[in-house]
Amino acid sequence: MGFLLTSGDYVAYLERTARRIAENGDYISGLDAATGDGDHWANMNLGFENLVAVGDELRAMPIDAAFRKIGMLMMSKIGGSSGILYGGGYMAASKACAGKAALDAAGLCDALEAMVKDMMNRGQAEPGMKTMIDALYPAVQRFRQGLRDGEDERAMLTAVKRAALDGAEATRDMAAVKGRASYQTNRGVGHLDPGAVTKSWQIEGLCDLLIEKTGE
Amino acid sequence: MKKIINNPNEVVSDMLRGMAKANPKIRYLGEGVEVIARAEKTPGKVGLITGGGSGHEPSFGGYVGKGMLDAAVAGNVFSSPSPDRIIEGVKAADGGAGVLMVIMNYSGDIMNFQMAREMVEFDGIKTDIAVVKDDVAVEDSTWTTGRRGIAGTLFVHKVAGAAAEMGRSLPEVKAAAEKTIANVRTMGMAMTPCILPAVGKPGFTLGEDECEIGMGIHGEPGINREKMSSAKELAAKLLQKIFDDCDYAGSEVAVMVNGLGGTPLMEQYILYDEVENILREKGIRIYKAFVGNYMTSLEMAGVSVTLLKLDDELKAYLDYPSEAPAFRV
Repeated sequence: MGFLLTSGDYVAYLERTARRIAENGDYISGLDAATGDGDHWANMNLGFENLVAVGDELRAMPIDAAFRKIGMLMMSKIGGSSGILYGGGYMAASKACAGKAALDAAGLCDALEAMVKDMMNRGQAEPGMKTMIDALYPAVQRFRQGLRDGEDERAMLTAVKRAALDGAEATRDMAAVKGRASYQTNRGVGHLDPGAVTKSWQIEGLCDLLIEKTGE
Repeated sequence: MKKIINNPNEVVSDMLRGMAKANPKIRYLGEGVEVIARAEKTPGKVGLITGGGSGHEPSFGGYVGKGMLDAAVAGNVFSSPSPDRIIEGVKAADGGAGVLMVIMNYSGDIMNFQMAREMVEFDGIKTDIAVVKDDVAVEDSTWTTGRRGIAGTLFVHKVAGAAAEMGRSLPEVKAAAEKTIANVRTMGMAMTPCILPAVGKPGFTLGEDECEIGMGIHGEPGINREKMSSAKELAAKLLQKIFDDCDYAGSEVAVMVNGLGGTPLMEQYILYDEVENILREKGIRIYKAFVGNYMTSLEMAGVSVTLLKLDDELKAYLDYPSEAPAFRV
């Protein structure tokens, strides 16, 4: 019997991730300063603070409604590119799991796949453009492959996490095509993309929480 | 960080509230909405809105008023406003003849305004969009985000605002905006970084004797970091980059020397003196000049120079009266 991700689990994951983001302001702002305009950390931090603030409300919702609420909050509270990409992404994830109270592995993979598709479509971005897609896309690919192969869940979640972290790391050598890093002469080559880093932390946090759950 | 604020996360609301209190002809639509709109709506007129990140004051709330914008939607500092805010701006501006959105070419603004457009369609409000990309420091390209919108946007607001006030239709107002966009070019430089209130420290550093030519209004990288030079040399460098992109020879222009927030008017006038010398030598006639802090980057020290090529139609729009608090004609 595999894991079942509930809204309560998701809130627990949001809380952990919010703490991690809050504690790493200097690190993320430093990455952003090298390639962007320095607002990514402040925006993500504000967004996650707002999500944690409605944790009780989210916990009481089925997962599809919780994703929708998270999407609307991120869109309106974060603003900027991140706000609308995360907002649109969560709303797409909500549609992909319509009618579900909780998600098993296949359900979560569907939701994440819908999220990455929406983000790529809305942002006109593909893997390799030095964006958060470079963390999320390989993670979803790895997840799908693991499901296809009937892989053990713990091993699969560990591999999904690894794919996201490696993907974020790979942005160091990429040249930006989108966003403000694309204005630089070297288009940010040599620097990690802050959006990919925060995205990889989210995947890592979610996988870690699910790995703990499967160990229960 | 030393800033006159109460809470770094509330600077946008606090600022807009103050702006509206100081100017009775505009009103603040409230916390969470973050829109400045005209105190009185004109039914039957095409609505004109803009929006973008905060930190560029008096852009954009200061350009709301008769003859210019109907509403300005504010995002967090340097971040696009969200679609829900933009929808409120569209509703505040809609007088039944449609709404033109004039925005600057940043991916966040484009995505958020496009989504807002899709959403107001359900309310039966017709909208169109004009995207300003006047910054010649960046190569234009359809593959990348392309050229940024900066201070030249003000001329688009002025022209489109006048066209709307004169009773032109939505397609006509859009055409006036597009004509301005096609004829406006800007080139800037910066000498110090700025500090986002929620971050608390500068995002980059520049040496005591350094400046960056072509830096964006959010501190995005420019084209060249170099030793500071004289006003005369700077004027020549900035204008040359504009001339390389667009031929202004023999034309009549509106000129804007824009301060980025931390540069005294004294220096802006010194630069304007040199800009005027070069334009005169080149036989480019100056129809109207604007010197001051129109589109800032918080406390960043630096300037931009904008040229708008004029014809009789654009001159008439430029001369049309404006009651906007930060742009009175």
